[in-house]
Amino acid sequence: MAGIVGIDVGGTFTDLFFSGAPGRPHQILKVPSTPQDPSIGLLNALKAAGLSPADLDAILHGTTIATNAVIERKGALCALITTAGFRDVLELGRRDRPSMYGLEGTHEPLVPRDLRFEVKERLDYEGNVLLALDEPGLRAIGEVLKQSKVESVVVAFMHAYANPAHELRACEILAQINPDWELVAATSVVREYYEFERTSTAVVQGYLQPLVARYAKNLAHKLREWGYERDIAIMQSNGGVAPLRQLGKRSAYIVRSGPAAGVMAAARLAGEAGFSHIITADMGGTSFDVAVVINGEPKVAEITNLDFRIPLRLPMIDVHTIGAGGGSIAHLDRGGMLLVGPRSAGAKPGPVAYRRGGTEPTVTDANVVLGRINPGSLMNGSDSTLDVEGAREAVRRLGTQLGLGLEQTAEAILAVVNQRMAGRIRLMSIERGLDPRDFAMVAFGGAGPLHCGALMLETGVSTMLVPLYPGVLCAIGCVYADLRYDISQTVEKRLDKLLPGELAAIIAQQREQGQRQLSESEVPIDVTTITHAADMAYAGQIHSLRVPIEPDWDSARLQQAFNEVYREKFGNTLVGIAVVIVILRTIAIGARSSAALPHSEAGSATQPTPSARRPVHFNQWYDTPVYQRTSLTPGMRFDGPAIIEQSDTTTVVEPTMSALVDSKGNLLVKVK
Amino acid sequence: MDPVTLAVVRGSLEQIADEMDLHLIHAAMSPIISETNDCANGIFHPSTGETIAQGRYGLPVFLAYMQFTVQKVIELAREDGGFKPGDMWIMNDTYIGGSHLQDVQIIAPVFADGELFAVMATTGHWMDMGGNVPGGWGPKATEIHQEGIIIPPVKLYEEGRLNKALVAMFCANVRLPAEIAGDLAAMTNVFSVGNRGIEALVKKYGRALLSDCLNEMIAYSERQMRSYIADLPDGTYTWHDWIDNDGIVDQPIPVHLAITISGETMHFDFTGTGPKARGPQNMSRNTTLSSCYVAIKHIFPDVPVNGGTFRPISFNVPAGTLLAAEYPSPCGGYLDPMGRVIDVVFGAMSKAIPEKAPAAFFGTIGVVAISGTHPRSGNYFVGVFPYPGGYGATQASDGLVNGTPPQSMANFMSIEMSEHRFPVRFDYYRMREDSGGVGWHRGGCGTEYGFTAWADCNISAIGDRVDYAPFGIVGGGSAAPNKITFTTGDKTWIPEMRSKQDKVEFVAGDAIQAASPGGGGFGNALERSLAAVELDLNRGYISRATAETQYGAVMAEVVPQVAGHTRYRLDVDASAARRLQLAAQASPI
Repeated sequence: MAGIVGIDVGGTFTDLFFSGAPGRPHQILKVPSTPQDPSIGLLNALKAAGLSPADLDAILHGTTIATNAVIERKGALCALITTAGFRDVLELGRRDRPSMYGLEGTHEPLVPRDLRFEVKERLDYEGNVLLALDEPGLRAIGEVLKQSKVESVVVAFMHAYANPAHELRACEILAQINPDWELVAATSVVREYYEFERTSTAVVQGYLQPLVARYAKNLAHKLREWGYERDIAIMQSNGGVAPLRQLGKRSAYIVRSGPAAGVMAAARLAGEAGFSHIITADMGGTSFDVAVVINGEPKVAEITNLDFRIPLRLPMIDVHTIGAGGGSIAHLDRGGMLLVGPRSAGAKPGPVAYRRGGTEPTVTDANVVLGRINPGSLMNGSDSTLDVEGAREAVRRLGTQLGLGLEQTAEAILAVVNQRMAGRIRLMSIERGLDPRDFAMVAFGGAGPLHCGALMLETGVSTMLVPLYPGVLCAIGCVYADLRYDISQTVEKRLDKLLPGELAAIIAQQREQGQRQLSESEVPIDVTTITHAADMAYAGQIHSLRVPIEPDWDSARLQQAFNEVYREKFGNTLVGIAVVIVILRTIAIGARSSAALPHSEAGSATQPTPSARRPVHFNQWYDTPVYQRTSLTPGMRFDGPAIIEQSDTTTVVEPTMSALVDSKGNLLVKVK
Repeated sequence: MDPVTLAVVRGSLEQIADEMDLHLIHAAMSPIISETNDCANGIFHPSTGETIAQGRYGLPVFLAYMQFTVQKVIELAREDGGFKPGDMWIMNDTYIGGSHLQDVQIIAPVFADGELFAVMATTGHWMDMGGNVPGGWGPKATEIHQEGIIIPPVKLYEEGRLNKALVAMFCANVRLPAEIAGDLAAMTNVFSVGNRGIEALVKKYGRALLSDCLNEMIAYSERQMRSYIADLPDGTYTWHDWIDNDGIVDQPIPVHLAITISGETMHFDFTGTGPKARGPQNMSRNTTLSSCYVAIKHIFPDVPVNGGTFRPISFNVPAGTLLAAEYPSPCGGYLDPMGRVIDVVFGAMSKAIPEKAPAAFFGTIGVVAISGTHPRSGNYFVGVFPYPGGYGATQASDGLVNGTPPQSMANFMSIEMSEHRFPVRFDYYRMREDSGGVGWHRGGCGTEYGFTAWADCNISAIGDRVDYAPFGIVGGGSAAPNKITFTTGDKTWIPEMRSKQDKVEFVAGDAIQAASPGGGGFGNALERSLAAVELDLNRGYISRATAETQYGAVMAEVVPQVAGHTRYRLDVDASAARRLQLAAQASPI
């Protein structure tokens, strides 16, 4: 067996992680991304790592192209055809506004109104045809669209989840008119009710499909030219991968896949280290991404807003983002209160210390002032060291306004930004009814291990786990992800009104679809797992609960399972109110031959040897040992204060904490 | 006061209030709390009762709203010998606390080291408080007793002992006693969340330092608000608007506001506003004040929410007006006067800071309610469709379409979901073309929907803004007004009070068409970019007639497409000439 490579293409950097044959060391590296054609950066990474096509069995890949195309509105020219009376559903949404306070701003739908057409047809909520599809009317629309530059056409009809016949027939007719169109029947993407959310999801798919299909083709071509002809798979936002050749039909599934990969990797390596409840904390230059993992399972969101009024109703790993990162700017508000972020210096001009023209003090500058970041470290892609004096000057200026000294000001900046991040973490655990003290925190991203120690103190989390390669965790997640397909269908029926065998038939059909998708992927699979769940609610409730079920359960057993889950969540059940089964779901997972996660080799020493010492400020200056991560081997223990340096991040162990290197090489930090 | 400790303590107190919000949202029985966040939680100053921190998950309608209740309860507790640990007060008195009887508030002291440290309060919307109409909303109510039971500020818990008689008393007078008992438990539990958080803070910082922080937080916010006001040009700015009628007497009710900005202070004077309404379109003085704060917060979203923010602002709401409701005026329809107050604040502020204030939003709650027994399930159902509509344009942008009211964040029902639940079929749900006020920035279009019943059901409607459309500012045009039409049997008709209609018995085939107002326009329509006008035409946001007569556009090419679409191209030179001509007509030299 040769190796597997994971590559995460982000906005600024393309990260690579290579897991070789047994005995061969892991490799990690970062190269600059190439946004005009991301596949160039990907090839650059492979070449920089010195890998050849023969070294690789599989390339697994996460990408931000889909996310960026939606946010920047750079997708395909796409048309939408709806039931007469409902073409504006996409633009209207469900009555809302961009933020709670402030009435400014508008919404730019992915398909503008002049490309949204109505055709006569109507089903009722049970899928019965009230009005037949007006085929001549549809053909007339198709002929007009053929004269335009439209690349994809989405068909979204009312209640089509209950009976997709009209949507499918419409796609057939449109395919006859122009076989070059990418056609999307909305219910082929989401077979669930809620017309706005379904239409929006299908439109995201249609909007991305031509772009993503081109990307997939281009990437496969470039890799073939390089000499590579084996498996290429793409990370999906549900935490699983899908083969590149299916990508054109699954483009909506790869939105925000990079953060999902990071969470999957964190969950997996924390699980191996013995932690089942974790909070993943990924802090980079501009944002802080946090997710919750319970019993090893990342929390999945059923619906995610990609932008204002652009919901995506597909299962996605629930990653929350707040605007707090190394580049977040510290400033005073009108009342004189110190605020940090959400405004960020970004990559340019960046923190003052980066010498790219930044003048306002940032979180990174505060870390530099306090000695937490090595003043001699080189910046990515440059030979120059940090501008420590510049950082000190900028922080000092802010301090003068606050009436504080230099170090106190820097500590204050960290205290304020940490308080914001800790608050988000607390709310995420409390929203799930859990106590933060029951969690471990996996710290990653360039700035995560700098801050998570302080976040532990703020949130009460017991342990911080810093993986071996915290800077490329998303790339690692790509390598270890399984194949995954989510299939769902709205049923919306009372349990006591179900016909015998009605659910079994839907489940059988979903199972068959899942198995087919797994086998069509042609990726070697060790174990196939197919599970089922039902979203159920008491009649009249708007929110439903997800209940794991077995295919052969009857109504009574389903009701019992629902009552158990409801009682667990709310402490009671509502006697005498009928239970409705809203949506049936099937999840098909193909576990890929599992390579071992990276780990470090055992050594004999129990105490690490510092590579240097330097003063670091934790309310006062401490003469602090600095360790190189590469010198830490399993079994070593040491007390804070300490700084651990590695190429992709810096870890801070506060004076009140101690650290242990576990058997896999993870750094576990706890309060003494 | 060390500014860092202050910043961190402020963040922590806001965090505690957020946690109280989330706890209530998750534990409440009432779907209106758990699904639309119709609740609020806060921490208040122990002696002045001013807001220290309020949770950020609750609805804007509750902004600044609990502090009046807390102040009243502090006063009553003092008369009663002072708060004791374990006390909790409860009340829903509209004239003290604001809004309507469904909003129940519970207030509890927080002690630290044996001394009163702060006061906490929670508000939740209960599904039913008794009264003439289930849910409390009676369009024909003429006194508050028809809207439900009144709970004056009384002790629910006395030193930890529940007053069971009180609970039995109000449970016996509501339609959903089990749900209400559940909501009561959820609300009282919120205080243990708050107490836990505050105890941890006291342990970390000490009571004395924290008490200083409370005072300093209020002082900070006051400074911040004063600096915002100081930036505003001094002067008196007035605005005048109308409520169509109160649903009982068909007569317009004026709402008049004069805002005086003087240095670092603001004064809101509602002299000139009409007398109390016979029908339920009244609100208490405190709700009027809350509405003003909601409007101010929409203009300055960064203003923090605490007592200090309110200190530099004073009010005159004359007694006897519909904005200072007194016993026994009904208040169940308060959301329409609230909308009008928000609008007149926007209007008056647009004269002081046209670059910040928006034109009028669609301006009416516009609820269509449907009820009956579903012919297939045999179940009783109630459904509520509150209006979406256009937002007013601002200097920053055109107005939003399909906005939610500024005092709310609640969504519109899914059409497919509604057809599962109610025996109706929606005929359309779409943008109301040509309904936004014209302007340099155009107001957002309103929304229109229509449905037809396929079985018997009952339909009611309550709204406003038919006779007085949402206004434009800085020369922008007003929006299309509200329009509700019924089709029953072979008759198509408009309600006598235009947008207010008590129960209509629908049979299969009967239908309603509702068209919400757009938002007002901003600035001179003749100065809107021609490219934007062309886009608006091609997208059907405006009609050809509006383009020609209001925006001065001249067509170079008009090509009918398919399915009702038309492709327009403007003649740039001819349009420029027509604009000059129209401008000259508008202001002859």
